[in-house]
Amino acid sequence: MLTTPRLMAIALCAALNFSIGSIVYLIKLPIYLDSIGTILCALLLFPDRRAGFVCAWISGALSLILSGLLINPFVPWFEMTDVAIALLSAFVITGGAETFRARPLPSLAFGIRVVLYGIVTGVVAAVVSAPVVVYLFGGVTGNGSAFLVALFLKTGQQLMNAAILSGLAADPFDKTLQVLFSALLYRATPTDFIAMLRTSHDLAVTTDNT
Amino acid sequence: MQSRPITPNGAVVFGLILIGATMATTGLPGLAIVAVLSMTFAAIEVGARTGIALRRSIVLVFPLALFMLIVWVGVVGRSPTEIAAGVTGSRSAASLHVAFICARLFLIVFTIQLIAARFAQTTPLRFIGALQIPLAFKRLLVLTLSLVETFRHAIDRAHTALVACGLLTRRASMRNLFNSWVLLQTVWLTAITIVVGRLRDKWPIENTLSQLDRALADGEPRSLSRRDLVWLPIALATVILAIGAR
Repeated sequence: MLTTPRLMAIALCAALNFSIGSIVYLIKLPIYLDSIGTILCALLLFPDRRAGFVCAWISGALSLILSGLLINPFVPWFEMTDVAIALLSAFVITGGAETFRARPLPSLAFGIRVVLYGIVTGVVAAVVSAPVVVYLFGGVTGNGSAFLVALFLKTGQQLMNAAILSGLAADPFDKTLQVLFSALLYRATPTDFIAMLRTSHDLAVTTDNT
Repeated sequence: MQSRPITPNGAVVFGLILIGATMATTGLPGLAIVAVLSMTFAAIEVGARTGIALRRSIVLVFPLALFMLIVWVGVVGRSPTEIAAGVTGSRSAASLHVAFICARLFLIVFTIQLIAARFAQTTPLRFIGALQIPLAFKRLLVLTLSLVETFRHAIDRAHTALVACGLLTRRASMRNLFNSWVLLQTVWLTAITIVVGRLRDKWPIENTLSQLDRALADGEPRSLSRRDLVWLPIALATVILAIGAR
C-alpha cells in the first residue's frame, strides 16, 4: 500500500498542511486551513479509498506532530479530528473527485459539492474537537477562533456549548475553504503524478540495484 | 544492557510519560511535582543547555499566555467554573484559570525542549534513525522535514514571481486576497515538479533511498540503556504522585 510515490505524496501533503497551518496560526486568523493536505491526499489516491484514508490520516498525523513540536503545542491533541477528516475525505469527499477534475469545469456541480462537503466536514470537525477544547485546554487553544468562544461565553453560554457553537460558527466556513483549495489543487495536479500514485509499481525502489 | 547515557527512545518515552502526567493533573500541586522532575532531568541530563530550552519554551508559551489573558481576563472576565455555576465571577479567578492552563502548557513545551536540547548535538537524521519505529515511518519523517524546506523555498520563489508579474503585492491588499490561491497553486505545482523529478530521475540515479535507509539504520543502538531504566520508573512514579496530588 505504501509505495515510494505514495510516501512522497504523504510527505508532500503533510508539509503542505504544516506550511499553510503555521502561517494561519501565526497571523491568528479565526480559521485553521491545516487539513488541505489531508483532504488532497485522499483525493490523489481516489478510487482506492482504503489507501486514501490511511495515507490521508498519516499525512494529517505527521503535520500535527511537526506543528506540535515547532509551532503550536496544542495541535497534536486534535488527532481525533484529524482521523474524522481523513475518514470523511476518503469516503465522502472523494465522491466529487471526478467533478473536481472534469474539463471544462462544471461550475455549478463543482460549487455545490465544495459547499456540501465543506459543511459536512465542518460540522463533524466541530463536534469532535469541542471536548478537546473544553477538557484539555479550558476553552482557548491559541487560535483566532478562541475569540468566538469568548464571545459566546460573554453571552452567558456554558463552556461546552460555547466551544461547540464556536466550532459550528467557524468550522463549516473553514472546511469549505479547505475543500475548495484541495479541489483546486487536485484539479491542477499533473495526470502523470496521479498515475504514479495509483500504480502499485514502486519507481524508486525497483531501480535500486544495491 | 550497557552503561550508556539516555537514548533517544528512552528520552521520547520519558517525555511522553511526563506530558501524560502534566495533562492528567487537575491542580497546581500536581504540576509542581512534574516540574520538580523536569528540573531534575534538566540538571542531570541536559546541563548548560537548560537555559536554551527554557528560553525557547518562554518564547513559545508567552504569546499564548498573553492571548489567553486577553480572552479570559480581558473579554470573558470570569473562570469556566464560575460560568458553570452561573455566578458573577471575578477577573482574579479567570487569571488563576489562565495560570493553571499556561503552567501546564509550559511544562509540556519545556519537556519537549529539554529532550531537543539533550540531543542538540545529534542531527535529525541520526535521531530519527535511532528511534524504535518502522523504517517506513522513519523515511516519512525525514522526507516530510525535507519537503517542509522545499515548500519554504517554493513559497519564496512563487511569491517573488507573482509580485513581479503584478498578481500579488508585497503589502496587504485586496489583490492578495483574490489571488492568494494562485500562490498556493504555484507552490503546489513547484513542489510536485521537484518531487516527480526526484522520483523519476535523481533518486534512481543517485540511489538515494537505499542510502537513506542505510543512514537511518546506522543510528545509535536501539536498546534501552541503564540510564533509561532509571528515568522511566521515576517518571511513572511521578504520574501517580501528580494525579494523586490535590
